[in-house]
Amino acid sequence: MRAFRTPKGLLGVILVLLFAFTAIAAPMLIPGDLATMINILARLKPPSLAHPLGTDQLGREMLWRVLLGAHTSLVIAIAAVALSIAIGLPVGVLAGYYRGATDHALMRLVETLLSFPALLLALTISAVLGPSERNTIIAIGVAFSPYLARIVRGEALRIVALPYVEAARSQGAGDWRIVRLHIVPNLMAPLIVQATISVGFAILAEAALSFLGLGTQPPTPSWGLMIQASRDYLDIAPWTALVPGAAVAMTVLGLNMLGDVLRDVLDPTITASF
Amino acid sequence: MRRRTFLQSSGAAMGGIVFGAGPGFAANAEQPRRGGTLIWGHSETTQNLDIHGTATASTLRLLQNVHDTIVTVNHKFEVLPNIAERFDISPDLLTYTFHLRRDVKFHDGSPLTAADVKYTFERIKDPKTAAVNYDVFIAAQSFETPDDHTVVVHMSRVFAPFLARLAELGAGAIIPKDSGSIQGTKPIGCGPFKFVSREFGNKAELARFDQYWQGAPYLDGILEYEVTEPTVRLTGLQTGQFHLINDIPLERLAKVKADPALQVKTWFPLCWAFLNFNHAVKPFDDPRVRQALDLMIDKDALMQGALWGGGVVTGSPSFPSSASYDPAIKPRKQDFAAAKALLSQAGIAPGQLQFVFKVTTNYPWHVQAAQIMQAWFEEGGVKATTQQLTWADWLSQCWIHRDFEVTMMNFFTLWEPDFLYFSIWNTKGSFNYRNVHDPQIDAWTEAARRSTDPAERARLYKQVQARVHDQTHDVILWFRDGTVGARPNVGGLDQLVHPNGSNLEFRHVWLTS
Amino acid sequence: MTYLSRRLILFAITLLLITVVTFVLTNVLPGDVATMILGTRSNAVTLAALRHELGLTQPLVVQYAHWLGRLLHGDLGTSLIFKEPVALLLEQKIAASAVLVVLSLLIAIAIAVPLGIWSAVHRDRWQDMIGSGLALAGISLPDFFWGIVLILVFARTLDWLPSSGYASPIDDPRHALTYALLPSITLALSLMAHLMRMTRSAMLEVLSQDFIRVCRAKGLGAGAVILRHALRNAITPVLTVAGLQLGYLFGSIIVVESLFNYTGIGWLTYQALLNRDIPLVQATILMIAIVVMLTNLGVDILYTLLDPRVRLS
Repeated sequence: MRAFRTPKGLLGVILVLLFAFTAIAAPMLIPGDLATMINILARLKPPSLAHPLGTDQLGREMLWRVLLGAHTSLVIAIAAVALSIAIGLPVGVLAGYYRGATDHALMRLVETLLSFPALLLALTISAVLGPSERNTIIAIGVAFSPYLARIVRGEALRIVALPYVEAARSQGAGDWRIVRLHIVPNLMAPLIVQATISVGFAILAEAALSFLGLGTQPPTPSWGLMIQASRDYLDIAPWTALVPGAAVAMTVLGLNMLGDVLRDVLDPTITASF
Repeated sequence: MRRRTFLQSSGAAMGGIVFGAGPGFAANAEQPRRGGTLIWGHSETTQNLDIHGTATASTLRLLQNVHDTIVTVNHKFEVLPNIAERFDISPDLLTYTFHLRRDVKFHDGSPLTAADVKYTFERIKDPKTAAVNYDVFIAAQSFETPDDHTVVVHMSRVFAPFLARLAELGAGAIIPKDSGSIQGTKPIGCGPFKFVSREFGNKAELARFDQYWQGAPYLDGILEYEVTEPTVRLTGLQTGQFHLINDIPLERLAKVKADPALQVKTWFPLCWAFLNFNHAVKPFDDPRVRQALDLMIDKDALMQGALWGGGVVTGSPSFPSSASYDPAIKPRKQDFAAAKALLSQAGIAPGQLQFVFKVTTNYPWHVQAAQIMQAWFEEGGVKATTQQLTWADWLSQCWIHRDFEVTMMNFFTLWEPDFLYFSIWNTKGSFNYRNVHDPQIDAWTEAARRSTDPAERARLYKQVQARVHDQTHDVILWFRDGTVGARPNVGGLDQLVHPNGSNLEFRHVWLTS
Repeated sequence: MTYLSRRLILFAITLLLITVVTFVLTNVLPGDVATMILGTRSNAVTLAALRHELGLTQPLVVQYAHWLGRLLHGDLGTSLIFKEPVALLLEQKIAASAVLVVLSLLIAIAIAVPLGIWSAVHRDRWQDMIGSGLALAGISLPDFFWGIVLILVFARTLDWLPSSGYASPIDDPRHALTYALLPSITLALSLMAHLMRMTRSAMLEVLSQDFIRVCRAKGLGAGAVILRHALRNAITPVLTVAGLQLGYLFGSIIVVESLFNYTGIGWLTYQALLNRDIPLVQATILMIAIVVMLTNLGVDILYTLLDPRVRLS
């Protein structure tokens, strides 16, 4: 817990809590119209008292859009990471627990997928399924799963070698029991660290996908989409890029800091991947 | 203000496009100079290079310089001789005789003869070519070449728009005999520039054709860079990376015009745009649903929002100066109450109607417009989601496979009313990707082809427009301004834009340094 | 079986699996090859005929076998949108991307390694705060956002560098550099951040080791100690990170090249995906995957060679 008292720890926790709160509360507190209200006369207005963070090219308030963007990012990132765990965890556990041929086969597959850069895989899947919020989740989730699988496998190998697990096995305890009672609980620590950092990368991935037109579609308030739309107005309205960019930066920064601190607290031997 | 009064006084065949000029324009009254390669920042990506197969304004803008048409038009849309130095039309309008010039050469040096014209016309007429302008020759029964420089076209019935449609590249560009198979990869024609290369999505290169019959152009060549992002294109012009760009981002037009270092030309109109419904998909086959969506749109606000004021709202897609333009057709005003009433009449409850609005990123202002309309649709109880497609994707999905519910598009070069109304709203029209099937419109557009009386034709086309509006087959949105920006060392800008308002003729252009 | 030969066999298997994954992925891409080829000549009859001709009606496994066969003969097919042989396109664009990758690696190493060392030496003091802070910021920002900021500053405001385009280093070396600079810096940024963190932690580990303390106790200057001994030991993990990061780099390159209209492999891949140019998509994805795999293999081998303690099984 001492680790949390460092500036890094504190800042990380604050930023993440801020992000989480915004993501959850914003859709409830901000009426839907405010963020989508198009006001042609007020387009590309710089930040001022009337328009706290300025307006975008359709006159929409950047303030509301960037806050609602937190919700979009959170939903997509968490769902994607959950999906990657749902795929990667069983694969990693199976490989680590059964070892031998199962391990070799599964690891071949994982290594193969790891040869495709995550973003490329996500882009391709998105192009295959057609760009939408749901498909972005699937694309990123699937693309991240090999990394998860490899980490889980590594941890599973380590845990299986622990004396008391060996003992349980030799006592004839069922595989499923051992996995449930011993393996998975011991995986929680590294999994939490990896998940925290992965959420950050998922947010970056969604931003990249949306920026390339293969992620969320307008008018969804998504930080990546906002940055994409700002390209045309960079010199006359830089806030349209800087506001969502700063939002992404702060959120991912917070998540990385938190992940770092969590790692120090839970298990310093982990090296988070990517 | 100037534009609106101009529109209301149409009826007479005044000049076609109206030109405006930025302050830098007068600076270039110098003498033409030979030499130099013009670097052109093009706003769109070129597509199919086969002149008979391509339907995209982007490609035509490039091919305008590679090909030449058998006849041409001036700014008043009067048909003038071109490759045909003389043409005779029989009094019954069933026989067209073209007398070809003797000095026209193709890019490979071979002379243009009647055989080439016959080949070209037959290729367009052949259903296997799937030519965009196949219907121009639908009434052409036979082509005769009594000698090397005379071509006679026999029509089976009166086809009034024939000559005018030959003034456009898709129908009138003459290609060498048997060159059909290479036109898609290496277009060859008799125009002022030779095609050198094209890298899809990136750039193209043209080189001067010294033996061009109207005299070799001033420029050594043209390098076309396809830069679809408006600010990148504009920055390219400002930094000198490009000598010339078409389509200045409209939100910056005022600033660019005020820049003494640049020349700006604006003209009206460049194109017109409309909102489309796929008539083969329920519930868009119901005119009440279409009209309801029409009623949710505030056309003036939309035009301001998407075009930054660089356009004019219109209910009629006819060229503003043509006799068939009908100023009496007023776009419907925004009326949510009426819209919701119509929807419930059509049996659609609020929130029930959901659709995907496909829009192409090739025209960034369409993406803006779609988002604005989406917000209004939501207000009207209709849930629309947009899907951004690349140009090639839109062409494949919406144009070829007609796989869409709602989309929007703009059309260029459609000054000729038959080209416009038949292609777009006749059941058999080549641009009828919306599956519009209206027997009345079919009858009128056919009749207009057979009528020899211009006033009668104008009347028929006005009826077509009125019906399109009544039935809300599509929603006509606006006319858009055209703009071109150039460095100070570019001359000849006042002759750059073809009378059709879209194609660019670089043979008139020179570089002073 | 030696480590190396085992590694090579695994390499071969992975290579084969990569082709399978590529084939499966690209065959479920919507957008019809036949339509793309025929264009406006498409109708039910012509499409069916062309599909049959292209072998698209055969079972997937058969199609895969044919495709693999053609690949092994060097026939990568023709691009549907560029209408050129895919192999030719790849050749042209690889050179462009190679410039970017090399340049960004150089920039990243040149900045990240000294920064990492500096941070490690001044651990937990203000220098470390700044260094680590910068690194953390570097990995937290999307690289295309960095690119936009760079464009804003260097291209729009200062007008020092162009915001888009490409020139061949062979034909036009001077311009090639100006076009490649901004994209390379953008790519280098997140690479730099990871590299810096890794360098720092590797250096920390080395610095805390006994023999370093001994050297210091013996009175050898701090600088000499660091440069001579610590660096040599820290190289291995740094190399590993650099190698692993290359995988990530090839993902970033797609975004960065598209942002700057820099026509390299990344730009090509993006165009291919966007326009459903299936032969081109297959080739670019395959190529990138193979390059990443080769890089990982190379790093593995280098690791083994450099650190004799490591002979992993």
